[in-house]
Amino acid sequence: MPNLLKKIFLNEYHESHGAKFAPFVGYSMPINYSTGIIKEHLHTRKSAGVFDVSHMGQILIQNTESNCTKLEKIIPLNLDNLKLNSSSYSFILNEKGGIIDDIIISKLIIDDLTYFFIVYNASRKKIDEEIFIDTVKSYSILNNNSLLAIQGPHSSKIISNLFDGIEDMYFMQIRNFIYENHSIFVSRTGYTGEDGFELSIPNSAIDNLINDLMSNNEVILCGLGCRDSLRLEAGLSLYGNELYEEITPVEANLSWAVSKERMKLGGFNGYQIISKQKEEGVSQKRVGILSKSKSILRSKMKLFNENNQNIGTITSGGYSPTLNTSIAMAYINKIILKNSSKILCSIRNNMEEVELTNLPFIKHNYRKGTI
Amino acid sequence: MTEKKYSKDHEWISIENEIATIGITDHAQESLGDIVFIELPKVGRLINAGDQVGVVESVKAASDLYAPISGEIIEVNNELTNSPQLINSDPENSGWYMKIKLNDVEELKKLMNYDEYKETIK
Repeated sequence: MPNLLKKIFLNEYHESHGAKFAPFVGYSMPINYSTGIIKEHLHTRKSAGVFDVSHMGQILIQNTESNCTKLEKIIPLNLDNLKLNSSSYSFILNEKGGIIDDIIISKLIIDDLTYFFIVYNASRKKIDEEIFIDTVKSYSILNNNSLLAIQGPHSSKIISNLFDGIEDMYFMQIRNFIYENHSIFVSRTGYTGEDGFELSIPNSAIDNLINDLMSNNEVILCGLGCRDSLRLEAGLSLYGNELYEEITPVEANLSWAVSKERMKLGGFNGYQIISKQKEEGVSQKRVGILSKSKSILRSKMKLFNENNQNIGTITSGGYSPTLNTSIAMAYINKIILKNSSKILCSIRNNMEEVELTNLPFIKHNYRKGTI
Repeated sequence: MTEKKYSKDHEWISIENEIATIGITDHAQESLGDIVFIELPKVGRLINAGDQVGVVESVKAASDLYAPISGEIIEVNNELTNSPQLINSDPENSGWYMKIKLNDVEELKKLMNYDEYKETIK
């Protein structure tokens, strides 16, 4: 059978640096390097790790009045008010207010024109791009750009010699820089709960950039394995696990990402449903779960109360290298929870008591400022 | 004399005086990655070759452990409960997980020697 997996541009680089690959949403992706997931994870929390996330989708859409109006129908943000050189977490919504994808949308100026730069999930690329193509004009899907992330408390210090003024940026800000005559976008964002940056760069300049990043001996290469354990500790949702088309931002406990102004004005997909849910509340909430034994909690495991009532299901679970125990995120029914004194998890036909906790498990370490 | 055999499920079996010490191979721990949990079988359980006896979990996924031979479980490596990473650091020695008193020495003939096992993981 032919190998149908797509390869990212730096595939050979990762191969020669000891990456172990696994199929991930149609791509052959580095899961970990010889360092191993746990050490990569801890190193990112303590210092800095570089992740290749070039499987993700990237698009530039020109900020015209018509594009703006059409995007605001599917994205519940006030795009006019999105500040230049700022990024915002948001969604593409379907008509029922369900989440087609979760995205980061930024505003940039390139050659005197204003653009929206959107980064979207690899698993939703095809669907998202069909929507963009149907919705907007004057866009460019950046198939020839890679996306690298440097994450961890030392990230800013490490890349400050490559990009002037990078240390002045705050969390959720973005700037374009010229790197070796190429225009690259650097945002202070990430998916680990740590301070860090994501760099969108043309493939023609990436060989030099990765070498520049890795020339600092504090930095190690990190795979998607620890990216998942880092985001889980940070309580960040993953499309396909916590997020899917049948769930709204309110049900996913992400209504903070729907702009207040748009909640008043409406005019976006699923507004009626979302507004009603915000007003009346929803029956479920997203919570953190801690294992009390050494057992590893995994997605799809069912949760019960002491009366054997199904109270919810784990959406993401695994081992937390920072806490040295298993952690999970789950949606649980708030009404049943009120009448429950114990939460039990069904692990391979055993019922094990687990502990409910708030999210995130690890405090976010962003460089927040008043923008 | 100690004899070492291998199973298709990537376990090693070291036999001495009809007692088999069993663990997962270096190749298996390498492909599983960082091991964070093991569910050990119960001492005293009688098992047949192929029975599921436990679970080993790496950061990535859970994998079942299968008995490579039949017999009675006479000892398990409780040290792994607190230090499952021993399976990564010393898979074919202190990372063993159970000892079995063999039912039938003839069963050992169905297992592979090192060279045969090496061929299967190429």
